[in-house]
Amino acid sequence: MPVSTMTPRERILKLFNGEEIDRVPCFSGMGNVTAEGMKDLGYKFAAIHLDAKMMAESAATTYKYFGFECGVVPFDLCVEAEALGCQINVYAHSEDILYPTIKEKVIHNEDEMDISIPADFNKLGRIPLMKEAIRLLKENIGNEAPVGSYVLGPFTLAGQIMELNDLLKLSFKKPDKVGKLLDVLADAIVIVAREYEDAGVDYITVREMGATSDVLSPRVFKNLILPYLKKIFSELKGNTVIHICGKTNDIVPFMMESGARAISVDQKNDIVETRKKLGNDALIFGNYDPYNVLVAGDEETVRSTMRKCIDDGVSAIWPGCDIWPTVPPENMRAMMDEIKNYGG
Amino acid sequence: MVTEEKKQEILEKLKNCVIEYDEDGVKEAAQEALDVGMDANEAIFDGLVSGMEEVGRLFEAQEYFVPELLMCADALYAGLDILKPHVKQMDLGVKGSVVIGTVEGDVHDIGKNIVKMMFDVAGFNVYDLGRDVPLDKFVEEQIKTDSDLVCLSAMMTTTMVGMQKVIEKLREKNPDVKIMIGGAPVSKEVADKWGADGYAPDANNALQEAINMVSALKKMRDEAEAKKR
Ligand code: B12
Repeated sequence: MPVSTMTPRERILKLFNGEEIDRVPCFSGMGNVTAEGMKDLGYKFAAIHLDAKMMAESAATTYKYFGFECGVVPFDLCVEAEALGCQINVYAHSEDILYPTIKEKVIHNEDEMDISIPADFNKLGRIPLMKEAIRLLKENIGNEAPVGSYVLGPFTLAGQIMELNDLLKLSFKKPDKVGKLLDVLADAIVIVAREYEDAGVDYITVREMGATSDVLSPRVFKNLILPYLKKIFSELKGNTVIHICGKTNDIVPFMMESGARAISVDQKNDIVETRKKLGNDALIFGNYDPYNVLVAGDEETVRSTMRKCIDDGVSAIWPGCDIWPTVPPENMRAMMDEIKNYGG
Repeated sequence: MVTEEKKQEILEKLKNCVIEYDEDGVKEAAQEALDVGMDANEAIFDGLVSGMEEVGRLFEAQEYFVPELLMCADALYAGLDILKPHVKQMDLGVKGSVVIGTVEGDVHDIGKNIVKMMFDVAGFNVYDLGRDVPLDKFVEEQIKTDSDLVCLSAMMTTTMVGMQKVIEKLREKNPDVKIMIGGAPVSKEVADKWGADGYAPDANNALQEAINMVSALKKMRDEAEAKKR
């Protein structure tokens, strides 16, 4: 086999286009900053969410150090909720790696669910910072590696701006009311995603893990959530991925039907079965366990897991969730090495 | 005296209304139970709780999902509100109080809420600190409430390590307190390594573990008392 001359960006854009590529790519649509990368930059995890330059520089290191085939910003799930008026906590006091969370929600009870998108939404919260970070990241590694970003799915976003328990119960008791909220949120998500496309991302992942079959039935997923996912994907022009973690075997056909170009699932999905259901042309990304394999596993576990993903038939090797910052560098290297050797 | 038949009918109704998350139905049946002079404990355990046990099975079998579970819990709480004031004394063999919460940095609270519900049902005094709870808060609350048990939940491998710190701090202040940890990334091995007294993979087991631990604690105290005398 000839030595590969494709850059990761070429390889992955071809993958999205359904063209022939030299080997299975290894990238992600979710956060993948590593402690190793932050260490040399001298940045604390708590700081890199609030500064475009620090965010972009940190995100670039995973490609630069390990050849992981992408750069992705942001690292947290609060961007859209913050722009909608929520307060966030980045745990500035902490030396540990704590992911930002929502401190104060905007919807406190059922009567407050009738929200509308604030004026100049695209200028609120960290949305401008995100655009800047995407631009800087592209400047940094964009010639060689694809740059990605993500938004939340409407249901998961709803769970960020209101009490999740209430949302779950109302999806049963008052689906119309929830549907109305999801419709507004779908519009908000499209605005954010378009800003990112505008800033030049090569692909966008919609993370709808709140609707996993660990929590919600496939029936509710189909009736209540799928219509708004369809709305989102029909409005986006670029390459798109729908990500749901946890149990997904029963909903993969709906994920495909949403209109996303590719689906992303985690280690709980049976890829062989999913491949059978969706056919050879479907883009299926997955599905190694980013913690138990990549962080806690030894090199041989990492290697054998990569081989299994490839044998099972994923279209790209891709983690089940964010890559955990504390991942041992030797495991990152083992992953990339195994894929380059075995993935042709 | 209420007939056996009538009693069975009311228990059946309590049970089914919990399963069908029919809050109004549960309230009606609970009131009826009191009106005919049924024992409140019996109505709770053979009616409401036995309904919830069936809900647990449906959840495991993936016929029910989290929303259904939460609605069933609401129905159960509606019944408990009516029956609890009439309970002679909740006698499970133990009476315990528990501090529960999801550790700092972690907002995953669905699982924690399910575990909490089991404690409520069993008649524990529950002090729920919510989610994203600063680590010291667990220690403060345990001291303030003198609870027998502290339950920590974490769903992320990064926040899970906070549990170890809480365990150390609690042990320093109060070597007797029982500590139980849980959540998807937690395992029996981790619990042992960090010196927690208990671990459970799900809510049902959590309750059984808790009852065992609290009775052990009570026994220890009684023996200490007896020695003193
Ligand atoms: C819903 C969800 C969310 C929701 C949470 C909403 C909420 N209010 O809970 C939202 C969208 C907010 C969210 C956010 C994030 N999430 Co999340 N999320 C999930 C998801 C899909 C389901 C979790 C769940 O509720 N399961 C159902 C309940 C019933 O099960 P359970 O929690 O395990 O509880 C049972 C037992 O564990 C046990 N138990 C639980 N607690 C206790 C306590 C005691 C004492 C005992 C005895 C037993 C016990 O009993 C329970 C009942 O049976 C999981 C993936 C999955 N499918 O598991 C990811 C997951 C937990 N999330 C994950 C991640 C990475 C995140 C984010 C960091 C993403 C990001 N980049 O920001 C953020 C974190 C935010 C934060 N700082 O906390 C990862 C964690 C990876 C890891 N190994 O550490 C997971 C595993 C996804 C994955 N595939 O990797 N998430």
